[in-house]
This record gives sequence, structure tokens and C-alpha cells, in this order.
Amino acid sequence: MSLMRDVVIALMPAVIVSVLFYGWSELLILAVSVASCVLLEWAITKWLLKKPCTVGDLSAVVTGLLLAMNLPSTTPWWVVVIGAVMAIGVAKMTFGGLGQNIFNPAITARVFLLISFPAIMTDWTVPQGFIQNVDAVSGATLLGIAGEKGALAVADVDMLNTFLLNIGGSAGEISALALLAGWVYLLVRKVIKPWITLSIFGTVAVIAAIFHLCNPEMFTGPVFNLLTGGIILGACFMATDYVTSPMSNWGGVVYGVGIGIVVMMIRYFGSYPEGMSFAILIMNCVVPLLNRWFHQRKYGRA
Amino acid sequence: MTSTVIWTIVILTVLGLLLALILFWVARKFKVEEDPRIDEVEKVMPGANCGGCGFAGCRAFADAAVKAPNLDAQYCPVGGNDVMKKVAAILGLEVKEKAPQVAVVRCNGSCENRPRTNVYDGVASCRVKAALYSGDTGCAFGCLGCGDCVSACQFGAISMDPATGLPVVDEEKCTACGACAKACPKHIIELRNKGPRGMRVYVSCVNKDKGPAARKACAAACIGCGICVKTCTHDAIVLEDNVAYIDYGKCRLCRECEAMCPTGAIHGVNFPKELDKDAVKARIAERQKKAREAAAAAEPVAVKPAAEPLKKEENNG
Amino acid sequence: MASKITFSIGGVHPADNKIARGRAIEVLPLPKTVYVSMAQHLGAPAKPLVAAGDSVRTGQVIAEPGGFISAFVHSPVTGTVKSIAPRKDLAGNLVTHIEIAVADEEVWAEGIDLTPGLVTELPSDVPAMLERIKANGVVGLGGATFPTHVKLNPGPNAHPECLILNGAECEPFLTSDFRIMVERPKEIVVGAAIMQKILGGCKCVIGIEENKPEAIEAMGKAVAELGYQGISVQPLKKRYPQGGEKQLIDAVMHRQVKSGALPISVGAVVQNVATSLAVYEAVQKNRPLITNTLTVTGDCLPVEKQHNYLFRIGVPLSFIAEYAGGIPEGAAKLVSGGPMMGRAIANIDACTVKGSSSILYLSEALTKRKPESNCIRCGKCADACPMGLEPFLLNRLYKAGDLGQLEDNAAQDCIECGCCLYSCPANIPLLDNIRQAKGQVMGVIRARAAAAKAAAEAAKNQ
Repeated sequence: MSLMRDVVIALMPAVIVSVLFYGWSELLILAVSVASCVLLEWAITKWLLKKPCTVGDLSAVVTGLLLAMNLPSTTPWWVVVIGAVMAIGVAKMTFGGLGQNIFNPAITARVFLLISFPAIMTDWTVPQGFIQNVDAVSGATLLGIAGEKGALAVADVDMLNTFLLNIGGSAGEISALALLAGWVYLLVRKVIKPWITLSIFGTVAVIAAIFHLCNPEMFTGPVFNLLTGGIILGACFMATDYVTSPMSNWGGVVYGVGIGIVVMMIRYFGSYPEGMSFAILIMNCVVPLLNRWFHQRKYGRA
Repeated sequence: MTSTVIWTIVILTVLGLLLALILFWVARKFKVEEDPRIDEVEKVMPGANCGGCGFAGCRAFADAAVKAPNLDAQYCPVGGNDVMKKVAAILGLEVKEKAPQVAVVRCNGSCENRPRTNVYDGVASCRVKAALYSGDTGCAFGCLGCGDCVSACQFGAISMDPATGLPVVDEEKCTACGACAKACPKHIIELRNKGPRGMRVYVSCVNKDKGPAARKACAAACIGCGICVKTCTHDAIVLEDNVAYIDYGKCRLCRECEAMCPTGAIHGVNFPKELDKDAVKARIAERQKKAREAAAAAEPVAVKPAAEPLKKEENNG
Repeated sequence: MASKITFSIGGVHPADNKIARGRAIEVLPLPKTVYVSMAQHLGAPAKPLVAAGDSVRTGQVIAEPGGFISAFVHSPVTGTVKSIAPRKDLAGNLVTHIEIAVADEEVWAEGIDLTPGLVTELPSDVPAMLERIKANGVVGLGGATFPTHVKLNPGPNAHPECLILNGAECEPFLTSDFRIMVERPKEIVVGAAIMQKILGGCKCVIGIEENKPEAIEAMGKAVAELGYQGISVQPLKKRYPQGGEKQLIDAVMHRQVKSGALPISVGAVVQNVATSLAVYEAVQKNRPLITNTLTVTGDCLPVEKQHNYLFRIGVPLSFIAEYAGGIPEGAAKLVSGGPMMGRAIANIDACTVKGSSSILYLSEALTKRKPESNCIRCGKCADACPMGLEPFLLNRLYKAGDLGQLEDNAAQDCIECGCCLYSCPANIPLLDNIRQAKGQVMGVIRARAAAAKAAAEAAKNQ
């Protein structure tokens, strides 16, 4: 319970920044997403499972927040509700509720929506927010541009600006700084360990560096890859989900490296410009195996 | 276009035939020879896989039954005599009929009889509780009330009575598989013969404390006074470690012990009539008086109660 | 001062709550009747040597060891044996006790040196010293109450390299070891020197956690003044369960005892500081172990009502509670021992034993179990386990009844320290379940060993 509260607190900077820049529509998505996730969990525990209600553990709130932050700010409310049904109803409660699911609920929902409503899910129009940014790139994300037109098209993007504010993309991907602030909070509170996140960053950076050095015209560089798309949101908040990540430190490193490889392969060679969700989902399947292989160092059994 | 269709059909057919051949060969090569009667026996089993027979499940029971020279060591408590007869018919063996049994809870330490001396706040598991301490009452032998027996029962035959805090066995559903008796860390559940029309008498206590201590812990405890042993005319009751035990093989359901028990630890169940304790007591008193008179007539010295142990010693000597 | 060290795997940091640390040890008066338990040590219960009606003197032997691993029991008082009967211990289980009515005047048994002076000269005869430790019923006072003479005599093939004196007292609340280290450091050091000599002159390290600077100072001073060779004080970082035998060996010697092996296999012998004091009294003064120090403490007890008592063994806990001012309001749970590993007192009429270390009054806020929720696989228990086990996994395997997997995942290595339960955010009763699992696995291992032994015997006889 206190762990989930910490996660909610850690997400707040990114949530506030996204609301500031995307305005009322983003607030609506957040509200609908959290409300429908919580309501669904309550309804399912009450009427389908007939078990004590588990809404109080705040995990549904976290799922709702993460789902909302994975959607474009123009998503219609009913798509958000479908996402919530997918996340809570299918990905979480069918497996037995909190702690039992194999796949991260928010990611499952996002991938489902991405495949079912591709047009809505890639509509990166920038709506009116409370704070205007003149440099706003609308219509397509930087990754989208890079995917279509090659690395040169995004070569002169100001990376510092991208680090602070990266308008265009899912709501939660807006500010790397806000996300990292939340991640550091989780580390300080000892909610999560840094190994998974660091190994994802490291793998992405290394692969991007190698490819970029081989052919800078075709492949984007490490800094660009780290700061764009869902890498930071995914690595800090989605891949580190307790339930769907390995328990041991070394298992976490292998899991992170796997995510890094898959996401870079999708970015460079796949038909989608972004692959963080797919990468996490694929590596989620490997977690039970990793848990079997990597064990704690036991006393007196070295 | 046509050639594509034809090629597709040809390739798929050849592939199918090839795979079929491989499967056929594998099936032949790895076939396990098994007595067909195992399947037959398994079919007549109840299929609960409860392990009450002492085997891992119905299949294991069937396997053992087919291999065994006779059925003396095997009995399915769930299916009872009916199933065993069917099994015997399949295998051409004889079956020893057994009296149907039922699980009996030998503790009467309800909240009323047995006051709580402390509050248990740990895991709701009798096994865990028993490992920690003697329990939340003064009695170290009785029911711990966490319901390990309830969760052990596959047939939904045991439930906890919220009023008494003790498990209650549903005799209709109970199959006497013995899972509850095994689950109980205090060994208070016993499989006893069901008795004619379900009538049976048993001591509902396993407290081995001496009388005063047992009585202090629980108002319905067996205090080991031995009155029941003296009363019983069928030699069915033994007193060991301060607890009386009624041998269900010898008990003739006269209910005299039940009437005489000073704490009400002896229970008679499923009798059509309520026990008229005074009438039974009067009957016993009458009988004992007659016996004394008869003894006095035969040998006047033996009338004195003090002479009794003396006589015993002589017999032993 | 040497650098602060600690053990290498797991551990937790509960608030140490050593509220009673400033309270000097007081001598507890005697009640009218004492009840001396026959099961005050690990191993076989002792066999009574007295009968009802006998008059006994303080320090007289009243029970002899019931086996190889067992210990003598002495009368803690002068008086008359009233009965020898089963009586409930603090868990409510029946144990044979000798009931002694206390006489007005105290007469000590012969041969006991009651003079207060410190005897620093060590006897030269090692077997005689061991014999004295055995005859005076000394057992380990760190919690396990393992007979000390057995532990100090590890056999001809063992090579003790380091005697570790356990002054960690890592359990919150408890202050009895702290008080004796501050008040009687010299006796403890002489006791350590005696054990050092018995073990063949190995070095001796006194491990004390850094939250007891007074004890570190007092012990350091005593070591320097007495000038025995090879004894040193080692400050340790505060971390629970530092006082666990295996953890302390890891912290001090950087060696790990193999699963199922004894500490002596890595050259270590661990003794508690209170045991060292008992060894001093047994060898130098021929005083039997009939007293020990006990803390009356708790979070719902004001500091002026907290006490450290020198008690006679066999005194009812209810007498101590009464003498200390009664059970405070707000006490939801009474514990004997520390809050992490101690046992709940289900029966306040139970009597103190050699290893009694506290009466702990805990409020509901500290003890009430919170409702259990689902495991979210956060791995906090695995990080906390000082044995490097995976409690979440063991819990799941226990529920599935998979004994083979439980053994493979080392359920039998659990030291029942409670770190997993303490760290679990879902309030899952990990310790309770793993303790059960450990018991079952140990049963399997023992049965297998017995079967192997029987097979070997059978093969030999043929």
C-alpha cells in the first residue's frame, strides 16, 4: 500500500507537466482512466470474484495513471475506457488480481489500443495547453520523423530542449526531467532498485552508439534514442513494475538488456517508429524463466 | 494458378502421410503395456482422489488393487462397501465388508465451556498455532479453532460453528476419508463406526490433564474420574492418561456412561429419544444395589467397599 | 578503534528502542515459592535428584543431565521441596518443575565462593575447568541455551581459531547484555580468557554493536587493564540479526558456515557475553548458574518503570511483573525475549529459566497483525533475509506442499529471525509458514539420515 502510494507520488511531476502542456483534454484522460480502472477493479472483486475489495491498495490507481500517460492527449474518452477494461479486466484480474498477472496491465492495454485504433493512437496533434511552447513539433513525433525520413531529418534537434520538454508523443513522454525526478524519488524511498532501468538505458545507448557510428545517416544516435519516445517512462515506471519484473538483481539486468535490444531492433528495423511497449511485453514473458535461473546469493552455499 | 493449387494439395497430403507414419511408429515404439483392468477399476472409483485409502489417488489405488493378491489391505472409505464390491467383481476377488465410519470431533470446548485465557492474533492455521504454543485457552489438548480440518475436507463436510468455535461434521457428506484427522495437529478428530442408524456414544474430550486442572480449563472436560468405566457393563471403556475412551467395537449404546458422566463429556448422538438421565441413574443404582445384596448374601465380607482393592490384589497374586 | 564491520547478506534496521539502557541492574527479591523447570536448556530434560519434602540449600544440585546434551540444575533458593509435578511453561505446554518453598534464611551449599573480589588468575587444568562449567550447569544465554561445556569441547579434530563473544544484542528493547557489559566488564573478560584457554589459546573477539558506545568503552578498558593475550573488542554496525551465530561469524571472521555444519567447521566458537559471565562465576567462584539478568521494558512503559533485574531462576514472571509495578495499561502483548525472535507469554504464571532475558510489554500498535494482501513480488523479503533465502518462494512452495523444492531452496537454512515478516509490505505471515516448512523439511532430512544409518548398520551386520 505505501509502496503504491510512493509510485503515485513519483508519477506526479510528469502528470503535472503533461496537464500544463496538454490542457483540459489531458486532465480528462487522466480522470477517465484512473476512475474506470478503480471502478472496474471494485466491480470485478465485488460481483465476479466475490472477494474482499482490493481497490485500497492503490495499484489500480497506478495502472490508471500509467495507462493515461501512455496515450496521446487527443484520445477520445471511450477509447480510454476500453483501455481500462483491457488493463484491469483482462491483463490483471483474469490472472487473479494484484501480484498474479504476467504482463504489465497498462502496457497490455496500450498495445491492444495501438493495434486496434492505430489512427487514434498515433494522432500526435498538440492541443491547447495552459502553457504554450513555440517550438512545438506537431503532427509527428521525432521518432516518427526519424523512422520515415532517416536520421538526418532530426539531426539538428536541440537535445537539451528534448530533455526538458518533448512536445508530441504520449502524454507521459513529455518531459524526461519530470520522469527522472520521479524515478529518483522511488530510488531514494527504496521502492525500486536501479538495475533494470540502468541496464535498459545502457543497452539502448550502446546499441545506438554502435549503429550510429557505422552509419550516421541511417541510424539515430544514443542521446536522441534515450530522450525520445517511451524509453524513460517505460524504463523508470513500466519495466520496474514489481509483479512483471524479475526478483533478483542479476535477473533484472538481463531483463533490462533484453528490453534494450528489442526496443532498438524495433526502432531501427521494425515498421513501428517506437517499440518500448512491445519490448516490455515480450520481456515480461521471460520473467518466470529469469526468476528460475537467477537466485539470491545464499549464506554458506557459495 | 491451377498448378499452385495442385502443388499445395500434393505437398500437404505427402506431409500429412509422413507425419502420420512417424506418429504411428512413435506410438508403437513407446507403448506402455498396462493391465486394462486398471482402467476398469478406476472407472468405478469415486474419483475424488482424496487419498483416504492411503494411495496417491484413485488411479494409484486401482493400480495397486489389480496387482494385489487380495483386497485385505485396500479399502476405499469414500465409496464404501458398494464400490469395493464392484472392484472385487472386476478383479474376481473377495472383499471384506467394513462398517461405515464417520469423523468425530472429540472436543467440546466451546467458548462457553472453555474460557479464553489469551488472544491469538497469528496466522489462521491450527498447525502454525500448535507450533507456537498451547492455544488460547487453558486446555493444551483441545480444538484450536482455526479450521485446518475444514480446509482439508474435500467434500465440504466440515464447517466451523461460529457459536461454539468448534468444527461440525455433516454426517451426510462425510466419507470418512480421514483427511481432517490427519490435518488436526491436536488429533482430536477420530474415525469411528457410524453405528446403527448413526447412533453412537463417544467421549468428547482428549484432555490428559489431571481432573482439577482439566476441569479448570474446561467445564465439559473429561476429568478422568473413572465413573464411566465402573458403570459400563460391556467393558467398553478404558481410562488412560486421565481420559476415558469408548471402544466403538464393544459399545452397546446403553448410554449409562453418558448419564453418569459428571461433566457431560460423554456424548450420545442420533438417538431417537432424549436421554432421561434420572431414570438411567435410578436403573443403575437399582442394579448395583441388587448386585451388592447378592454379593452380601454369598460372602458377607465383600460388602465393605474397602475390601474390593484387596480382592483384586489377591486375584493378581 | 577498528573499523565498524557487519555481516554481508540481508538484514533489517528496526528502531533499537533501548529505553532501559540507563537503568542499573537491581537485585530482585525472592518470592515465597519458586518453580524450577527441568527443561531450561537445549537437549534432553534434566532428571530430578530430590523428592518432595527434602530441604535444599542455595546452589545445591537438584537435577542431573538427562543425556549427553543436557545440563545440571541447581536450587536457586534455600527451602523445602514441595512437589515435583508438571507445570505450564510460558507457551502453556506442560514441563516438569520442582516446586520449592523459600525459607526465611538463606544457606548456600558448600564449596561456593561468595567473596566479591575479582579472581584474574586462570586455573591451569583445562579438564577441571570444563568439569566446573558442566557441574555448575552453564548453558548458552544468548537464546538457544545450548550446554556450554559441550560447545567448548568440540573434539580432537576441531581447530578453534576464534572465540567470538557475542555482545551485539541486536534485538530491540533488550538491555540486559548491555548492562552487564557496563557493570561487570572485567568478569566477562576473565570468562572470555577462561574459554580461550579451554579452546587451546585461540584469539578472542568481542563483537558489540555501535549503538552501545558505553559498553564498547567499558569492555575495551577491561581488556586493556587485565592484559590477557589475544582479546580485542570489535565494534559492529547496527543491523539485525547481527547477534545470530552465523551472521556474527560472517561479520567478524568473513567466513560462512556451510548449510548443516557447525560454526567450529570454520574455526569459530560463539558465546554470549552473559554466558562468559556465567563461565567466570562457575570456574573462578564455583557458583552455579542460578541467576541471570532480565529487562522489564516495552513501548508502553515509562522509562522510570523500566528495570534491569538480577533474578533467581524459577521466579514466576507474574512476581517480577508485580514487583516492577504491574502490567501497564495499553500492553497488548507480553513477550519473553526480544520483539523479533522472542516468544509470546501465554501464561504469566510461568517461571523464569536460565535463558530468560526480558519481560516485554508491547502495545497494540507494535504487535497487531495487519490484514494480509497479495504478494506483489517486490522482493523485499529476499533482500532482507540474512541467509540469502527467498521467503516469497518458500511461502509459495509451502502452500503447494512441495517438500522437494523447499529443500532445494534451502528452507532448512532458515534461522527464524523474522526479517522477512518485518520487511513484507503485504503483511504476509512469511515466517510462520516458513517455520512450518522448515520443520517438515528437517523431518524429511532426519528420516533420510536415519534410513541411511539403518541401511549402513544392516550392511555392516551382514
